Amino acid sequence: MKPLSTFRHGGIKVDTGSNWEQRGRVENAFLPNGAVLLLKQHAGRQARCVVRRGEYVREGMVIGRADGELSANVHSSIPGVVRDIRVLPLPEGGYAEAVVVALEGAFDRLGRRAERYLWKSMGRNEILATLRDKGVVDTDLPGYPLFDLLGERRDTELLVINALECEPYLRAESAILRDRAEEVGEGIAILQKVLTPKRTVLAVGSGGAGEIPAVEGMQALERIAFEPKYPQEMSAQLLSVVGGKGAGGVGTTILKPSAAFAVYEAVTLAMPMVERYVSVGGGALKRPAVLKARIGTRIGDLIEECGGFRDAPARLVLRSALRGHSVYDLDTPITKTCSAVVALTAEEIGAQVRTPCIRCGRCRAACPSSLEPDMIYRFLEHRMPARALAVGLRSCSLCGACGYVCPSRLPLVAAFSAERRALADSLPAATEASV
Amino acid sequence: MKRAKILAMGTAPFVFDCRTTASLMWGTVAALLPALAWGVYCFGVGAIAPVTASILGALCGEAVAAGLRRRFTLLDGSAFLTGLLVGMAMPAGVPAYIPALASLFAVAVVKGAFGGLGSNWMNPALAGIAFSLLNWPSEMGTWSGSGRIDAIAGISGATPLGYCRLHAASGPGPMDILSAAGVKFSPTDSSITDFLNQGVFSHLGADLPGGYIDLLLGNKNGSIGELSAILILAGSVFLIARRMIRWEIPASILGTFALLTWAFGGLAYGRDFFSGDILFSLLSGSFLLVAFFMAADPVTSPSSKRGMLIYGVGVGAATFALRSFGASAEGSAFAVILMNCAVPAISKLDTAASLRRASRTKPAALEGGE
Repeated sequence: MKPLSTFRHGGIKVDTGSNWEQRGRVENAFLPNGAVLLLKQHAGRQARCVVRRGEYVREGMVIGRADGELSANVHSSIPGVVRDIRVLPLPEGGYAEAVVVALEGAFDRLGRRAERYLWKSMGRNEILATLRDKGVVDTDLPGYPLFDLLGERRDTELLVINALECEPYLRAESAILRDRAEEVGEGIAILQKVLTPKRTVLAVGSGGAGEIPAVEGMQALERIAFEPKYPQEMSAQLLSVVGGKGAGGVGTTILKPSAAFAVYEAVTLAMPMVERYVSVGGGALKRPAVLKARIGTRIGDLIEECGGFRDAPARLVLRSALRGHSVYDLDTPITKTCSAVVALTAEEIGAQVRTPCIRCGRCRAACPSSLEPDMIYRFLEHRMPARALAVGLRSCSLCGACGYVCPSRLPLVAAFSAERRALADSLPAATEASV
Repeated sequence: MKRAKILAMGTAPFVFDCRTTASLMWGTVAALLPALAWGVYCFGVGAIAPVTASILGALCGEAVAAGLRRRFTLLDGSAFLTGLLVGMAMPAGVPAYIPALASLFAVAVVKGAFGGLGSNWMNPALAGIAFSLLNWPSEMGTWSGSGRIDAIAGISGATPLGYCRLHAASGPGPMDILSAAGVKFSPTDSSITDFLNQGVFSHLGADLPGGYIDLLLGNKNGSIGELSAILILAGSVFLIARRMIRWEIPASILGTFALLTWAFGGLAYGRDFFSGDILFSLLSGSFLLVAFFMAADPVTSPSSKRGMLIYGVGVGAATFALRSFGASAEGSAFAVILMNCAVPAISKLDTAASLRRASRTKPAALEGGE
């Protein structure tokens, strides 16, 4: 067997969740009684609302139209009546309008035999137009619409299908790859047609490489099995192994299997992006599972389907326990980019006793970008942000490895991300000058 | 299920490694216990008194210093560790007030006055040891020995290191001086030495003289915690394996010190260059205890690989110089204090190196955020 690949410097081994059976359940979630459809589930401006309160919407009907570049259509995931249109806070920061739909009437698609469209006879532009119509976005933050992402890329070097999940309680991508291999394979074939990459690489964890059947689209695929080391799934670390010379930039496209699956559904089934796989896990849950849920479902409903809480949750986290965002209530809706709901117990988080930095050097050893997080933090602590940026904060990818290992539990990542956000808000030229 | 239950918020990461500062400190304490147990076995139960007094002094100092800043930090183990280290550096027969005051000074003044854990620039345990060496030189130089030690080592009232330095002119090497003084090495020593000579060294054309195994195992006079080199090394292996200390620091200290001893150590005994007794120098005195448990203290040593090498080479060279030309046979404690003073300067070099490196790398694009 080939030795497992991994990136060179830093990284951490994380317990990926002990209460999860090797083969997690993959189920369809119950249909929700109502859906809260955020009009911003993508990178760009929020979609323009095209429905009014009291209006009847059908399943898959457009309720928000893409507004400019990097914006995407939003479709209703259930049939029903628009009860309300209101502004809600987004877990990842900021606010956006949301359309609240109450279930009513019949599903147009559900339970019917799916029509299949022959994508092989479709041209590149036709496929891209379909992806735009169906509101397909990348399934990870910040949710780049695939129309914008793929549209500018042609005759590319490399397409990477990234199924790595080196973090606690994430199982959705490996579950899709295992249970829906054929559909993912077809999605990859469609992506290959659009991008015409010279190489297509499937990055999988150490366990799953053998299980995936070779289906069409996966035949021309190079498989690389990786060591379970975080943050292997982040693009810089992934490309340090996968990419040859000139990796990165527009020549390289990295997508998750869930995105390939969404491409398949949009192009062959003409289905808008109204569903996604969500891995619902964490020590506080009774029966963790990977659920196929309608966009706009309350996370509380998904948790209920996993048997509810076994222990009181101390934190409810979206997407990732290492990089994700916490939410304060169970009414938060699932979005196109929400890959996981993780309910952590107080025990899993541990006692947060902050002590002074003892310069143990663990953060330096863990940093995949070879930075000195303790030094950067000390400059930020002394209100010297320009210095902090100059000694490497600009190269920080906010992966959270340093915060994970810090025995003093210093808020390293919180400080770094606050400064990075401040930097993003200011003009780049001004920052260069201050450094 | 209750609807809209409000949950606590936070920022990523939400999960953590199980190690905390307290667990690192208590782990280091645990790594010291075998060496301490050997000391108590050799000197008798009475040796517990100075160690206990030292720990109590350190805890009092921490309680007061942290109390003034309205904090309670006794459970993080750092004061306990300092007290234990100071106690282990004491001769067994020392009056209890000396280690107590030394630890109080170490924790309250050297650590507490500069802001407590993480802010001190000098290793507090070494400061306490230096404090007692300077204030009570005669008590600190009284190696009474008791029970087992006198029976084994033969020379009472002196450590092998101190005795050999005093009588350097009388013999070609430290082991010859000890033999001439009538030191009887233990039966364990002679049987292991014979075994090694017949089994290993004879094939290599070498011969291990008697006595080194006694030094390694700890059949000698010395302070409570420094006796058994092998137990100290076992504790350091545990520390390094669990990444409580970085191996680069002790390795560069040991390497530099051994090299200098080999090159120039023989001169004191009237011999040529490159004839020094490396093994004797490494295994005697408090050198190993200081190198692994005090010099490698992350708070008072540099954090970069290059800095650690500069620091370690400095400590090794200064130890050799102080042992050869200093006022007492022991030099390692003051050598580390000397290099502690140089750490801010070394850290400045680190910052400059980071600046240069960061200016060459391109900024990272953010993923999964903003």
